[in-house]
Amino acid sequence: MPILPIEAYTSQEWLDREKRIIFGNSWQFAGFMEDLSDPGDYLTVQCGFQNILLVKGRDQRIRAFHNLCRHRGTQLLRAVGKKQKALTCPYHDWTYDLSGQLISVPEKEKEFPDLEIDKICLHKASVDIWRGMIWVHPKADAPSIIHYFDGIAEHLGPHDPMRLIEYPDTKIEKLIKANWKIVVENYIDVYHLAHLHSNTLQMYDHAKAEFGFVNDHYMFWEPLVKKYKDNLDQLIPYKRIAEMTDEYIGAYVPWLFPSLGLSETESSWSTFHVIPLAPDLTKVVLRSKLEPMTDWEYMRLGMKSGEAWKKIMGVDTKYKSEDPNDPMASGDFMEEDIFACEQQQKSLTNPLFSIAASAKQGESPIRNFQQIIAGWMKTEQN
Amino acid sequence: MSEQFHKLTVSKLEKPIKDAVRISFTLPKHLIKEFSYHPGQHLLIEFEIEGESYRRTYSLNSCPFLEEDLQISIKRVKAGKVSNFANDQLKEGDTLKVMKPKGRFFAQITAEAYKSYYLFAAGSGITPIFSILKSILVASPYSQVYLFYGNKNQDSILFNEELKSLQAEYKQRLEIVHILSNPGLWSSWESWKGKKGRINSREIEDFINHHPPIAQQTEYFICGPSSMNLDVRKSLMELGIPADLIHIEHFSANQDEGIRKIDSVDHANIELSYQKNSFHFEMKKGQTILQGLKENGIEVPYSCESGVCGSCVAKLREGSAEMKTCMALDDKDIEEGYILNCQALATSERLKIEIP
Ligand code: FES
Ligand code: FES
Ligand SMILES: [Fe+2]
Repeated sequence: MPILPIEAYTSQEWLDREKRIIFGNSWQFAGFMEDLSDPGDYLTVQCGFQNILLVKGRDQRIRAFHNLCRHRGTQLLRAVGKKQKALTCPYHDWTYDLSGQLISVPEKEKEFPDLEIDKICLHKASVDIWRGMIWVHPKADAPSIIHYFDGIAEHLGPHDPMRLIEYPDTKIEKLIKANWKIVVENYIDVYHLAHLHSNTLQMYDHAKAEFGFVNDHYMFWEPLVKKYKDNLDQLIPYKRIAEMTDEYIGAYVPWLFPSLGLSETESSWSTFHVIPLAPDLTKVVLRSKLEPMTDWEYMRLGMKSGEAWKKIMGVDTKYKSEDPNDPMASGDFMEEDIFACEQQQKSLTNPLFSIAASAKQGESPIRNFQQIIAGWMKTEQN
Repeated sequence: MSEQFHKLTVSKLEKPIKDAVRISFTLPKHLIKEFSYHPGQHLLIEFEIEGESYRRTYSLNSCPFLEEDLQISIKRVKAGKVSNFANDQLKEGDTLKVMKPKGRFFAQITAEAYKSYYLFAAGSGITPIFSILKSILVASPYSQVYLFYGNKNQDSILFNEELKSLQAEYKQRLEIVHILSNPGLWSSWESWKGKKGRINSREIEDFINHHPPIAQQTEYFICGPSSMNLDVRKSLMELGIPADLIHIEHFSANQDEGIRKIDSVDHANIELSYQKNSFHFEMKKGQTILQGLKENGIEVPYSCESGVCGSCVAKLREGSAEMKTCMALDDKDIEEGYILNCQALATSERLKIEIP
């Protein structure tokens, strides 16, 4: 019954193959449009084994290159920053212009008399913008991003992320001691919502959730519970998203293959980016965007909604604990999820580990996801 | 063997602004296929005015993706024979001699494309640009359009109304910035709050900075007087845009502009190969190669005779020639030795040319 073998979650060899086959061949999240706002701004993203360098040109187009010097392969740039005109390799100062063209080589006459500089260019990758997000693909001739996300637009929230604003203190980075697929499976597990999060996601009506796959991408929507909806004005934690009219209201929580979850709700729009670091270690980066508001509005709304929650919804945690750091008593659904993922990962190497049964409806997305992974892994020809 | 003209009936005349006329043609069934076109292409029309015939090219402003009549717009040019005739004397029901649409300035539009199109137009240069703009909106649902449009004043904006209604219909996909060189104080209800000046490199950079592309595949179309076109292209290339993404059309309202005086050779010897035949003839000083060919009874393709349509193109194998104007060729063509017979004068004693 299990679709993927246990090694899929524990072995380095399997992860390496995923990096090559899946992460080396798909469109991946690289950030928000605003991350590269001015000419010369750059950032780097890891796509499996390949590090991709994105740089904005004076024409406002983003160029994507493999972050790999053509001389001896050194990574040209680190993380994020600003480069006005040229990219210079730290090792021997070979220099490229923003179109990736090699333009100078130190001691050229003496050391490389026959090198034809104008024939050497950084390896190109693909980049595009979709729904306010920058996406990269390691291949220069990647299929169009529109094609990649074909058919999913109608299942997403009405939000216009390009209009919304990221508040600096809403960015969260976490390390989770679990395989990246355990984290994904948790994200798309419908069965756990009413249980693990019985006291943290109770404002949504999990019994009425609608979900399913469009190609490799998972789509999910659920309505608000009546009590939350009826008192939304008082309970909503931030300004209501303008496009979230009564006709659309609910939580849209899709998973975009392979590594990005979205959480599009009545008051926020967030990305949940999963980055595999080791077979049992995953980094997640959460970023949220909100309706534009002043600091004062932001604070006032937070306080008002906090008060109202106590009164109307009642605040309680699933477990009581003396330990202030107990994730299960944190009242934070993300802490609960991390806890569950790590506990599950620990058991994978236990010789008694097996899955007794898988929920017909609520865990069907997990089986589907594993099937998709298995399908990708089969595509490699030796 | 010049190409064929067809008689088309003027089905409708409109006045979008005071000094322009918009002419629609309804195609008879049997010509629909032959007259199919890409947005950006033009028609060559022969006008008979007071016993003389005049050939002019006009860009189509209609949209090939809609069931629309073919349509062109002609702005009055001071002392322009044809433009004044079209504005004052042409009537609905008249027939004009028209050649099928042609031209290499066009947008290849597909439904799946995810592209950002930057369009630059000045004055009458809007006609092909308007066709491209509308076609993208209608037929390429994921693509985005950014138009930068220069005019003299509020009253000289061709397509002002049409652009406003497209703007309302395609809010998410269309951005328009107007710039006026001489906004009138009294010519309009409100005073002008938009940009003043001309489309120059500073304005272009500003325009692009304020409208960064969403789809990262971009294309640039420019149509205006040749001096503007060259400026825009230069500015775009300075911003790091590859030349092959930039398309230029010189609009032909002032076909006299930019014609150079060329000191040609007298009695030049021409050897022409065309359709497996070869011809020899001698030319007179000041004659274009096309004139020489015609005088010697050699029939070759041509149509506009003004360097716009490109149908008289030939390749220079030996010798040298210079062209008066050459809007139909780009620098690369010229480098590869292509010439326009209707514009080229011989500048060496012997020439060998070939019509492909
Ligand atoms: S490795 Fe980059 S310059 Fe040598
Ligand atoms: S005949 Fe049109 S360019 Fe020469
Ligand atoms: Fe969860």
